[in-house]
Amino acid sequence: MRRPSDQGIPPRSSSVLRLLRPGPRPAAALAAAIAAATALPLAAPQITRRFVDDAIGGASIRHLTLIALGYLVLAVAGQAARMVTAWLASRLAWDGTNRIRERLAGHALGLDMTFHGRHTPGELIERVDGDVVAVADFVVAFLLDVVAGVLLLSGVVVVVFGVDWRIGCVLLAYCLLIGYGMARAQRAAVPSAARSRAASATLFGALEERLAGAEDIRANGAGEHMVRRFHQVSAALFRAENRDARVGTVLLAGTSVAFAAGTAIMLGLAAWAMSSGTLTVGTAVLLFQYTLMVRTPFERLIDQIREYQAALAGLARIGGLLAERRTLAEPARPRPLPPAGPLGLRLDGVSFAYPGDDEQVLSGITLDLAPGETLGLVGRTGSGKTTLARLVLRLYDPVEGVVRVGGVDLRAADPASLRRRIGVVTQDVQIFAASVRDNLTLFRPSPGDERLRDILDGVGLGDWLAALPDGLDTEVRDVSAGEAQLIAFARAFLADPGLVVLDEASSRLDPATERRIEHSIDRLLGGRTGVIIAHRLSSLARVDKIAVLDQGKIIEYGRRADLAADPHSRYGRLLDLAGVSR
Amino acid sequence: MKPVMLVATRLATFDLRRYLVGALLWMPVHVIPLAGGLVLRQLFDQLSGHRPVGLELSLWLCAAFVCVEVVRGVMIVVAWTYGVYWWCAAATLLRANVLRSILTARGPAASRLPHSSGESLARLRDDVGDTVDFTDESVTLAGTTLFATAALVIMASIDPMITLVLVVPMLAVGVLSRTLRGPIARLHRRSRELGAAVTAYIGDLFGAVLAIKTAGAEEAALERLREHNRRRRDAAVKDRLATDLLDATTGTTIELSIGLVLLLAAPAMRGGEFTVGDLALFTSYIGWLTALPRAVGATLYGLPQAAVSVDRLTRLMARHEDAGDLSRNNGVWLHAGPPHPPAATARPDGGGPLEVLEARGLTVRHDDHGRRGVFDVDLRLERGAFTVVTGAVGAGKTTLIRALLGLLPLHSGTISWNGVPVDDPGTFLVPGRAAYAGQVPRLFSETLRENLLLGRAATDDEIGRALELAAFEADLAEMPDGLDTIVGPRGVRLSGGQVQRATAARALVRTPDLLVVDDLSSALDVETERLLWERIASRGPETVLVVSHRQAALERADQVVVLDRGRVAGRGPLGELLESCPEMRRLWSAERITEAEEGAGD
Repeated sequence: MRRPSDQGIPPRSSSVLRLLRPGPRPAAALAAAIAAATALPLAAPQITRRFVDDAIGGASIRHLTLIALGYLVLAVAGQAARMVTAWLASRLAWDGTNRIRERLAGHALGLDMTFHGRHTPGELIERVDGDVVAVADFVVAFLLDVVAGVLLLSGVVVVVFGVDWRIGCVLLAYCLLIGYGMARAQRAAVPSAARSRAASATLFGALEERLAGAEDIRANGAGEHMVRRFHQVSAALFRAENRDARVGTVLLAGTSVAFAAGTAIMLGLAAWAMSSGTLTVGTAVLLFQYTLMVRTPFERLIDQIREYQAALAGLARIGGLLAERRTLAEPARPRPLPPAGPLGLRLDGVSFAYPGDDEQVLSGITLDLAPGETLGLVGRTGSGKTTLARLVLRLYDPVEGVVRVGGVDLRAADPASLRRRIGVVTQDVQIFAASVRDNLTLFRPSPGDERLRDILDGVGLGDWLAALPDGLDTEVRDVSAGEAQLIAFARAFLADPGLVVLDEASSRLDPATERRIEHSIDRLLGGRTGVIIAHRLSSLARVDKIAVLDQGKIIEYGRRADLAADPHSRYGRLLDLAGVSR
Repeated sequence: MKPVMLVATRLATFDLRRYLVGALLWMPVHVIPLAGGLVLRQLFDQLSGHRPVGLELSLWLCAAFVCVEVVRGVMIVVAWTYGVYWWCAAATLLRANVLRSILTARGPAASRLPHSSGESLARLRDDVGDTVDFTDESVTLAGTTLFATAALVIMASIDPMITLVLVVPMLAVGVLSRTLRGPIARLHRRSRELGAAVTAYIGDLFGAVLAIKTAGAEEAALERLREHNRRRRDAAVKDRLATDLLDATTGTTIELSIGLVLLLAAPAMRGGEFTVGDLALFTSYIGWLTALPRAVGATLYGLPQAAVSVDRLTRLMARHEDAGDLSRNNGVWLHAGPPHPPAATARPDGGGPLEVLEARGLTVRHDDHGRRGVFDVDLRLERGAFTVVTGAVGAGKTTLIRALLGLLPLHSGTISWNGVPVDDPGTFLVPGRAAYAGQVPRLFSETLRENLLLGRAATDDEIGRALELAAFEADLAEMPDGLDTIVGPRGVRLSGGQVQRATAARALVRTPDLLVVDDLSSALDVETERLLWERIASRGPETVLVVSHRQAALERADQVVVLDRGRVAGRGPLGELLESCPEMRRLWSAERITEAEEGAGD
């Protein structure tokens, strides 16, 4: 039978742990700090023993004062060593876990859109940050509490063995017993603690929904009903917390009693040894202090059991993410796209179905676009327009047929040159909580503020920029849909691609913004090849070719002028219906 | 009385018996360690030969030491479990009062809720916790004071000089824990903020993954992540270090005090006036004594903290409410369920059935420049009329509707129901006078039935009729448990369209005089929307106010109100407006293109 800890950890989690390993010098510093933090507290009781025995033995005041001063120095040094250990350990843990975060983010960014279609940003936040936090917490705690705690415990046991081996044996047995008992008891407490946390999550989850839906509730006159429901959920939380408190406090009190019993046993043994004359009073004080010292590391070790399980689950999920592979094959001999000028586009018998789905989204698509020509894609929602655009961007590979850009089969194209030469403007624009500059360059080195300003002017955002308090350094917040769209155009101008895919905004914009956007589209398509997913027939007036898609097939394809002139064409009928002049 | 003290007093006294009994139960827990120290003293004196030697007596003392701890353990269990009720009840009291105010108090809730519901939630969780903890801290303060007084008396009776000197490090702990808490809280906040920045950046990054990938900006984006990570690491390490420093201060004080005792007791010990037993008693009391300065420090620090919390909670409440309303005892039911409210009647009192609802000069300003909002809009809804509000995006359609229903604060304007001015539309225009289906509707993680009824009494037949009017019957047939299906964020995910139709049904099941529906076009295709308006016109509420740009709605309207940048650009039947209003013509032609294109493949 496999142990529970073996379950579900893919083999890669060892390589995850390797990312956590610090360099040799920080590791040595940490080891030294941990050793000091363990050894210094161990020495303190030895000093009290000397003090008590010497005081009773009638040593000089000067001698006793020196011992007391020694104690003071040791005490301060011990606390300092603990602080240094904590500082080093948390720094190293953060460095290590940051490496994991960066590795995970890099890996996930490298995965295809197939992967990102299945995983929301929220999920990835949980993978890249949430799980790693659990691991980080555990690593810090492991270095501080587990390693230092075990060292201190062993130190205490060894020293007590040196004092009296029989008492040492009893202490060792006692430690093993109480460790076992606490671990068992802790496990017993986990379910009720989990229930209490779940009840709390339910309460706050429900509250969050109610707050977000406050207007719906008010306008439907359901406020009092919701308050009543809240009282019911609160009662459930109370019941769970009550049970948890009962289990938790019994455990807490039981632990205290167990440690008191241990102390009493040690003192009893000391009394017994003293009555037989083998022990001094000072040693009895020493034993007393060592027994008190055992408690803290035990409590910390037990606390870590729960963290350990969370960290293990986190590691497993991190390993799972790293095990995700790209589905788009890397070309064996990558060919670059032509480095400058507009790029031709050719689709030959292209068919496509999304992975894991039988439904044919595109079938037998054949299109040809000379460099500098523009194509308008027309069709209702779900007809395959967006999928076709994704194939042109090589976010997916076709199941059948070939997509060629600038004469190169995209499957054989160099990915870097592909990204550089093909640009896209989509309708949902993601704005980063970062400066205007970073939002334009997407964090890459800036081509110079002058150029950025020119580009913003060009897309009609000049006035907008002028109104910002810190110009290009202003952090972008609250941009309107229209402004976001224009920022996306600015990004595309900056990239200066040879082929642009425009997924034109379908949201209704105010007329002024609409005009600015149309102006930007015209400029962007000048001297470039373009594929436009049109939502407004009026904006297709300038394209060279039109393809009407229906259920993944091209049902009409030709030069725009020809189609518009043909009274029987679907495109022409559409123009009539819409009341747009041909 | 200051608001925070008022709230703390109310929390202590709303269930005075439980608070006092709970506090009294904690006292023994704090005082019992005195006995432990006395037993240790006896024991070590026994061992060191100041008392007649007797192994048996020593063993009895050891047993007594364990017994003391057992009694304390039992007291902890009793006091703690008894106190859970008070803590939960106090927190529930505050939360329920805030929630009731947000959901039912006069005046719009939108203006006082922070932008994100997460922010309000954090207040209801953390600020309520801080406030209750502050009140709770009084018990710890009393207990530790009691212990410290008794312990200092005992210690002074042994050696007044040493006792006096030991007060100094205790004061130091108090001062340090008071002064360090401010910086620690700041560091903690900063560490959390930078942590949130990393999370937000990762979210942005994967939200924009298409833009990043198509731009080939992966490496640059990762470099930015590294920067965020570094900043967060530095803050987190500082945060941890500061917290450790506070703990270490207490630890160091204990150790220093023991060292001081050794130093000062050396002459007395040599002479035998200060025994080993006394030393054991001193060392055991010193550890417990540090609890008092820590409790004082925590209270001193907690007071401004709790004041801020009370202020933040009060700001979630309506403008006319204060800390007194926040902490009013409106009842807490943790054992038995809350009493049933009087069943929501079909119609609140007053005003009579709708004959005419009139709004004059409605003005809402969204920003200080007064560029966005609605300005000076008149609206007259007569019984039986079908009114459509239309306009481009950002024209103020939703703002107008929300202002009319009292969900947004009015800058100026009046609303009257059958000629009688409505004082607070937010609490007046509710079922059965009016019901509303919003543009960004919310469902809760409950059964579909609960989501539709929200406490209202209705038979399944009545629910079925409302669902049919809202064109939801086909969706219902596909649900695994019918009306008992759990929907919402934590249940069956409904599509955006289904959510909007379900909220339309929620309004319809209330059989209001006036039905108000914000834009349904993203929920329904053209044909279904046409069907929906037909059904509502023949069997639904008599008077309807909708926001729409669809031909089906506009053609049916008795009255169309065209908004352009917050002002009325035209008003009347569609036909007239197409003649007289250029904005209407523009919108109409754009709509015809869109609807034609939606049918392009047909």
